[in-house]
Amino acid sequence: MVFRLLVAAGLAAALTLAVPAPSRAQEITVFAAASLQNALEEIGAAYRQRTGHGAIFSFAASSALARQIEQGAPAAIFASADEQWMDYLQQRNLIVDATRKPLLGNSLVLVVPAGNTAQIELKPGFDFARVLGADGRWVTGDPSNVPVGRYAEEALKNLGTWDFAQTRLVRAENVRVALAFVERGEAAAGIVYSTDAALSQKVRVAGVFPATSHKPVTYPVALVARHDTPAAREFLAFLESDESKAIFRKFGFVVH
Amino acid sequence: MLTPVELDALRLSLQVAVVAVAASLPFAVAVAWLLARRDFAGKTLVDAIVHLPLVLPPVVIGFFLLILLGTKGPIGGWLYETFGLRLIFTRWGAAVAAAVMSFPLMVRSIRLALEAVDRGLEFAARTLGASRLDVFFSVTLPLMLPGVLTGSIVAFASSLGDFGATITFVGNVAGETQTLSLAIYSLAQTPDGEAAALRLVLISLVLALSALFVSEMLARRVRRMLGRA
Repeated sequence: MVFRLLVAAGLAAALTLAVPAPSRAQEITVFAAASLQNALEEIGAAYRQRTGHGAIFSFAASSALARQIEQGAPAAIFASADEQWMDYLQQRNLIVDATRKPLLGNSLVLVVPAGNTAQIELKPGFDFARVLGADGRWVTGDPSNVPVGRYAEEALKNLGTWDFAQTRLVRAENVRVALAFVERGEAAAGIVYSTDAALSQKVRVAGVFPATSHKPVTYPVALVARHDTPAAREFLAFLESDESKAIFRKFGFVVH
Repeated sequence: MLTPVELDALRLSLQVAVVAVAASLPFAVAVAWLLARRDFAGKTLVDAIVHLPLVLPPVVIGFFLLILLGTKGPIGGWLYETFGLRLIFTRWGAAVAAAVMSFPLMVRSIRLALEAVDRGLEFAARTLGASRLDVFFSVTLPLMLPGVLTGSIVAFASSLGDFGATITFVGNVAGETQTLSLAIYSLAQTPDGEAAALRLVLISLVLALSALFVSEMLARRVRRMLGRA
């Protein structure tokens, strides 16, 4: 009896594998920086409404995504939060150079948990220690590889507080994890993009980093060389359309 | 030979693992004894809860710890207000995360050893006038020692390798919570970080093999001591 059941289960499994999967040729995979999550999900929904085709998104730190693409991940489009990680792929001939465009801009802000009413002018020599308190820590994406962390390190170095700041740093996998730590009130402060701060009720912007303190925050987007398909090109074109630009602007991005 | 960053990660991993095992050992023995020797309402539930870290994704455990033991959590908040003790972003929190993840492994090992103890010997000791506590420490515990040892080494090795729960609960803080696993993770994402990541992987391998070797030596010693070669 048990034997027969096992045979039946085995046949059922074999049959399900034998049926060809529905064609996903029109579904493209987009690897995008974590900070683009909300805007791109809305754009993806708009695209599906327009064309009936969907896009599968994978949001993570641009560093993690670039490494995955390098190892052969099936992404058709890559949207990075800094030029360096796009350069990384371009140097390895993994993107279609002609399709690379700087899509968006953003600004860097210092956030604190919502209950904290501190306001601080982020100028050279600003008192970071006062913002953090005696034993508070601040959080941002890992400065060794995550774009927001790199911008933060650059800004803090230019403003003269990096040596101190480094001793209190908590490294997060990406900007959204950093935001979450500040939202929970566990981190006394965090450095994230203004667009991320705008999405959360549980954090407050305590200061905006002057544009001169760091390289301009740019989001280049490009087609991944191995998956250059008409569907991918169509979605890339949609990303650059007026409809998408309006959605990006709504979330606070600077549109180039 | 080893860079300061590598030394830091190695030292931290060892410290966290040792503290995790040492702190959870008495609890593990107590829980194992409870599950092996006692029957009570809700015993299956306790058994299930003890085994949760084996079944749930590590990140989920880390998240629970964050909610409960973070400075804004019910238990963590009380600890912070009363003792000024902060677990999040510290090596003690990392030890807690590692301890929770390896607890079921320790309990299983100890419980098995406990169940294998000949109760006849315990009764004999009682008839000879020993109190229950005396019986436990002079008869039961020595007999279950191989299991306790195995459980400790397994928990040690598991604590060395913990990643998901650690990074979710205490984050990646260089010099404080950046154990070998977290350091390898950071380096693997850094451009040109592969060489350094591989070095750390080799260090981890050496550490794990050493732990297994020590465990085997100790187990043999104890078996000889107990008269079972």
